[in-house]
Amino acid sequence: MRLLLLEDDLILGEGLRDFLRSEGHRVDWFQRLLDVSPMSGEPYDALLVDWQLPDGSGLDWVRSLRRRGNPTPVLMLTARDLLSDRLKGLDSGADDYLVKPFQPEELVARIRAVCRRASGAAGPRLRFAEVELDLAAKSATLGGVRADLTAREWALLEALALRAGCIVSKSDLDGLVFGQDSEVASNALEVHISGIRRKLGRGLIETVRGLGYRITA
Amino acid sequence: MSLPSITRRLARVLIVVSVAWGLAVAGVIWFTVRHEVDDLLDGTLQEAAEIIYAMLVLQGDRLPMGEGATLPAPPHEENLVWQLVSADQQVLLRSHRAPATALLPAAQIGLADAAGDWRVYGLAFGERQQMLYVAQPGADRREARYEVAGISAGGALAVGLLCAAWLRSRVRRELVPLNALSSAVAGYEPLEPGSTLDAPGRAELVPMHRAIVELGQRLAQRVSSERAFSAHAAHALRTPLAGIDAQLAVALRECPPTLVPRLRATREAAGRLRRVVTALLAMFRSGADLHWQPVELASLLERLPVDGLVVRVTQAATFQADPDLLSAALLNLLDNALRHRASEVRVSASPDDTGCTLTLQDNGSGIEPAARQRMQAALDTEQYEGHVGLGLLLADRVARAHRGGLVLHDSAPGCTVQLRLGLPPALPTAR
Repeated sequence: MRLLLLEDDLILGEGLRDFLRSEGHRVDWFQRLLDVSPMSGEPYDALLVDWQLPDGSGLDWVRSLRRRGNPTPVLMLTARDLLSDRLKGLDSGADDYLVKPFQPEELVARIRAVCRRASGAAGPRLRFAEVELDLAAKSATLGGVRADLTAREWALLEALALRAGCIVSKSDLDGLVFGQDSEVASNALEVHISGIRRKLGRGLIETVRGLGYRITA
Repeated sequence: MSLPSITRRLARVLIVVSVAWGLAVAGVIWFTVRHEVDDLLDGTLQEAAEIIYAMLVLQGDRLPMGEGATLPAPPHEENLVWQLVSADQQVLLRSHRAPATALLPAAQIGLADAAGDWRVYGLAFGERQQMLYVAQPGADRREARYEVAGISAGGALAVGLLCAAWLRSRVRRELVPLNALSSAVAGYEPLEPGSTLDAPGRAELVPMHRAIVELGQRLAQRVSSERAFSAHAAHALRTPLAGIDAQLAVALRECPPTLVPRLRATREAAGRLRRVVTALLAMFRSGADLHWQPVELASLLERLPVDGLVVRVTQAATFQADPDLLSAALLNLLDNALRHRASEVRVSASPDDTGCTLTLQDNGSGIEPAARQRMQAALDTEQYEGHVGLGLLLADRVARAHRGGLVLHDSAPGCTVQLRLGLPPALPTAR
């Protein structure tokens, strides 16, 4: 998944970024609202937002995103543990609320949960005909046989699976899978799509000409 | 314990004082009236004797003088009797109820008490040393005295009791402002901005009102500074703790295998620190009030991150508690069990009419009986310093905040801790 992390604390931000990357996610970490503004149009699977930032309130930023119609799942990370704070956070548009100090493993599980809920899936396993994806284990099977996917292939598959039924443009997929990595070849996306089709069958990912790709449930 | 009631005490005093006042007034009236009544009756006796004397002088020739002769009269009650007695004590003439023998054994002029319970007034009559006695029965005189005294005493007592009842009602009315002040204090929230305590209705209550307001202000200042510290501490402690754990989690994944045990132990210690700090912050936050809500034991325990310990719920229940505080207390108790080499903790909840008892029984190394007794005494007296660790202290504070307490029991193997929780305070009923 491609995640945006907005956290001003250096130790925590760096630790979370590295931990999430070690989990296979692409993480864009920012310490100020000013830095994150140019990224507002970028596609993300989830936003991890600290409440108190040096140049403003993360909660207000989330509220403005929601006002603009941005549906990306938001997880608030904050030291505020009062019930009134939690209610305020959730009522302002956050999908989940995690009180510091938390363990990064719990954060990862909650990210999976909010993304799953956003995709409309009931559980951590998604099924598309003969193909089954386990979002927690990051594994895919075809007819019960486990497919050996690369990290990029899994990221691409997960991005499409979480938006099952929707057409995802190439540029959005580029953003979700490769993030701000400028070292990626121009045809990398097609190469990975081809790899997934070879391992999980040609019918799983549909190409919608001129628009992008889609997984149909 | 039942405390003395001002109203009841004042009512008792008023009744005693009223009765005593009534009796005293009745006594004074009795003493005064008795003399006056006697004087009045004696005067009446004397006046009657003088009238009869005059009548006898004027009509003496026509009266039937003889031994014990009585004057004719219709049937009637006679409160005064009279005799005309000769010098040799023979009754010459008498009223029809008068005794047939002389009232006095010897001639006596003036007032005298005679045998047979008579009050007699004697007058010398004529020139033959005759005597006129006019007498009144002693019983009639006593009856008059008793009637006067009884009516006086009864009146005084009635007035006294009426006064007592009136004063009692007055006392109750005078205590109404005290009750009003009590109600105002009950609704007074010095921690809420703009909250004021209604002015008292009596001058005597002004010092109490002032003392309560000043106490509230001191309390508000103290809680305000504690809350400010708590909020600051929360932000200053929670974020670095999360950062330490995240860094250690990354380091565990990236380090060479030889460093894994050391880093894992470090992360476990950081986790313990995180739990203690979280509990401390929760305690600070809950200084004023608890967030009572239904808590389901099994789901609460499921959310507690305790690695290396199997937690089994042997008796589940739903009860009222502050879930955050209770989580902090249970985390510390489970952490204690882990440090005492327990591998399993059995937890049960037993709700009853007055709250709920949570029992945690572990299979660890347990506590020596003497040490357990010392620790229990420290918990009972809240003298924790040097006797119990931070975990038990926090659990006890949480139990006390829930109107309960902590009890340690001997059990083999391991240790059993009972965490008693009371019921939430009743909401004020609408009037």
